[in-house]
Amino acid sequence: MKRKLYDTIIAYLFLLPFLIFFFSFLAYPIVYSFYLSLRKVTIDTSFYNIFSEMRFCGLENYIKLLKDTEFWFSLLTTFYYGLLSIPLGIFVSLLLAVILNSKLKGFKIYRSAFFLPNVLDMLVVGIIWTLLYAPQYGIITRIADIIGITLPQKGILGDPKTALLGVVVACVLKNCGYGMILFLAAMQNIPPSVYEAAEIDGVSEIQKHIYITLPLIRPIIFFLIVTGTIGVLNSFTEIYAMTGGGPITTLFGKTYKATQVTGYYLFLQWDRMNYGYAAAISYVLLIITLIFSFVYSKLLKWK
Amino acid sequence: MVNSTRVQQKYDLVQKVRRTLLYIIITVFAFVVLFPFLWMVLVAMKEEGEVFKLSLKLAKPFYKNFVDVWKNPYYPFWRFFLNSVIVSVSGGVITTFICALGGYVFAKKDFYFKEPLFWFLLSTMMIPGMMFLVPQFAIVTKLRWMNTYQGMVLPHVASVFGLFLMRQYMQTIPDEIIESARIDGASELQIFFKLIVPLSVTVITMLFLLSFLFHWSNFLWQLVVNTPESGKLTLPVGLALYRGQYEVFWTKLMAASCYSIIPIVIIFLFAQKYFIQGLTIGALKE
Repeated sequence: MKRKLYDTIIAYLFLLPFLIFFFSFLAYPIVYSFYLSLRKVTIDTSFYNIFSEMRFCGLENYIKLLKDTEFWFSLLTTFYYGLLSIPLGIFVSLLLAVILNSKLKGFKIYRSAFFLPNVLDMLVVGIIWTLLYAPQYGIITRIADIIGITLPQKGILGDPKTALLGVVVACVLKNCGYGMILFLAAMQNIPPSVYEAAEIDGVSEIQKHIYITLPLIRPIIFFLIVTGTIGVLNSFTEIYAMTGGGPITTLFGKTYKATQVTGYYLFLQWDRMNYGYAAAISYVLLIITLIFSFVYSKLLKWK
Repeated sequence: MVNSTRVQQKYDLVQKVRRTLLYIIITVFAFVVLFPFLWMVLVAMKEEGEVFKLSLKLAKPFYKNFVDVWKNPYYPFWRFFLNSVIVSVSGGVITTFICALGGYVFAKKDFYFKEPLFWFLLSTMMIPGMMFLVPQFAIVTKLRWMNTYQGMVLPHVASVFGLFLMRQYMQTIPDEIIESARIDGASELQIFFKLIVPLSVTVITMLFLLSFLFHWSNFLWQLVVNTPESGKLTLPVGLALYRGQYEVFWTKLMAASCYSIIPIVIIFLFAQKYFIQGLTIGALKE
């Protein structure tokens, strides 16, 4: 008992530096954000003391949010972005891992090649892709011309139908190495004897993967879906670098920005100094995340 | 007997074709994945007028753009580079230090509220970072940390992932050696610095590299904490502003991009096992 008390004191002393930063910049902001979401900047607010002088406005920001079609459209865009990028990313990572796992020569070189883009700066990668996607003269348009595919006049990123898809392709190619590494690590934990036994029983190559590999890597797929969802709700830099939210599209007679995901919309509200409103958006994002984690945890138990 | 060799030969042939196909697929795919970076380097070595021409004609000398980028008086590129290095190194060091201290006690000590605290910390990993943009900005403004290094670094040093990584690794250190050091009269700090730290060099390197990388690419936050005329702009923020001003100079922009990409590529080539192990430990356990 005395030992535990002593250890508790020591433990919290060791944890102190971490906890100071954690509570000041991560835990407290969750509460503070809610406080801010009930306030707004008015003309009386002094520019030099904005956050202390924002005026209480009750649920005004949340009510405004409910009526804000641009916000709802950004949520739809975010879901669409997730539905495209998460499954595609997992599929490509898995495919690469399965191929690399079949004892190829140069395994390490290929693994490095696929993993490398994953550690590079998203903003810079996004800027490079805007050059590749450039309309008319960009290299991708040129290649498409040679093969005989006509790309949109304004370029892939300039057309509302293809812009988000263009972002997804760039991000999947950048990030697939991460999933691949995880899949490879899991696959290498599967003892070869399991496959050998299956081979003796006359199981085909594809069946082997469906019945042996897949169940064993299911936790990784689940992990990638969860982190992918958080990543999508968080997406900002790729949109900032590649499209700036554009191009313009119309739905039910209203104009919207075709790649403006919620993270980007939140940033724009911050940029326009609508701090209370941006905080309200953060809170809605948090609630959506909680719903997703709840659903995912139920799914995990159900399986 | 004759028959079985034929079957064997056929099987070998099928295997050979299959392997060749696999090689072709992944080689093409590797080229596609790396193509943007090859293109970046190529464009950075061209004359501005040649950017969209499908030729390999380079500027004379080919490193002209790389030198020019450093000499633009309106665009203190060396400053951006230096700021990025300062932010990333200090972010990496502080994150690693506080996570090593915390991870150690979670791995090796039994204390009150250990489990609930740990689960509380882990659960915050589920919150998207965008959520913190406005409140963190408000806090940094109130602290008068705008346009400062501490404003860019300190809000993002408490990495729960890092804490978890340290805990996972340090759990593998046997309790007996800690116990015997204690019997020999070592103090808690001595045990940590003289025993745990040397045994954890691998994980310390991993977390340092991963958090260095995090701060190197922490674009949104660095954009938010700096006003455009700040002297503390980092590479990605500098690049974004540069693009906003002179969108047409692709060769210069790509040369500048090389300065952001190439240092990381070099670090990666020397230390990739740390990146790979770090990310795998963080994801696979539990």
